[in-house]
Amino acid sequence: MATEQELSDFLKSVEKRAFKRSMYHVRNEESALDIVQDSMMKLAEHYGHKSPEELPMLFQRILVNCTMDWFRRQKTQNALFSRMSDFESGNEDDHFNILEVLSQSANSEQNESAENHADRAQTLQQIEMAIQDLPARQREAFLMRYWEEMDVAETATAMGCSQGSVKTHCSRAVAALGKALIAKGIHV
Amino acid sequence: MNNQSMMQNLNSEQLIDAYGARLSAWLDPSANQVPADVMERLRASRMQAIAKRRILKIETATSVFANNATATLGGDAHFGFWGRAASLLPLVVLLAGLVGIGVLQENQRAEELAEVDTAILTDELPPNAYTDAGFAQFLKASARD
Repeated sequence: MATEQELSDFLKSVEKRAFKRSMYHVRNEESALDIVQDSMMKLAEHYGHKSPEELPMLFQRILVNCTMDWFRRQKTQNALFSRMSDFESGNEDDHFNILEVLSQSANSEQNESAENHADRAQTLQQIEMAIQDLPARQREAFLMRYWEEMDVAETATAMGCSQGSVKTHCSRAVAALGKALIAKGIHV
Repeated sequence: MNNQSMMQNLNSEQLIDAYGARLSAWLDPSANQVPADVMERLRASRMQAIAKRRILKIETATSVFANNATATLGGDAHFGFWGRAASLLPLVVLLAGLVGIGVLQENQRAEELAEVDTAILTDELPPNAYTDAGFAQFLKASARD
């Protein structure tokens, strides 16, 4: 069972990322804070007795659910799913060649890094905007899989879907981000 | 081996993961760029969550303690052996009364039959007279007198 201090330390270690992640989803500071607060409360209330090792996965799962609850409350579920269904068509990344993107990135690294090419903050802003434009499930999969560095199985558990779906979401998210950034002349 | 040939040796899933990781690495600094007021609210939320857990723990402990106390008090005051025995007493009396009434009625009926039999054996009346309800009543009345 996690002690009060362990729970506090855990929450402290994840709160900033959780807030940023929620911001990418809901694009509203107040709502993002509400989601993080709800998630913290639920974790403490229902899973405060769990061991410290179990807390990260539980918190990720709760955060996903709280975010989905927020969308439901906002009655944007239909819009959300219609955006998701766009990606279910499977044609999105037909014209995306990951090798080409990485090759361009590698070449650009040799010539001049993205840091030197443009203001780093501006690049970050473009990446954040591209992430915000992703459909919710792809954004969730991308952030958990790559930013939170969770493996495919953990991401699948947190999202409540299959590992195959996680791979598909991630692949499409990366393709969409790559295309969007290249279109803006950004080679990451 | 240059980057190009290195990439060709990787499968597409690895390439996607590599690109995803590279993109997300850009987000790392942004996680620390959280405004002070947001940080303060996150801290407050965290404290609130910890306090909630503390309250739940206290409530749970209080509830367990209270339940035990009730059980102990109840046992001493109302539900001891003699208390339980006493609460069953009315039921026992009722059952005994019912059994007693049953036995009395049975005896009464046996006596009535015995009287009729005696009358049949000692009297000159025809046996059919004793099947008459009115005559049986007459016999009972005269026996009482």
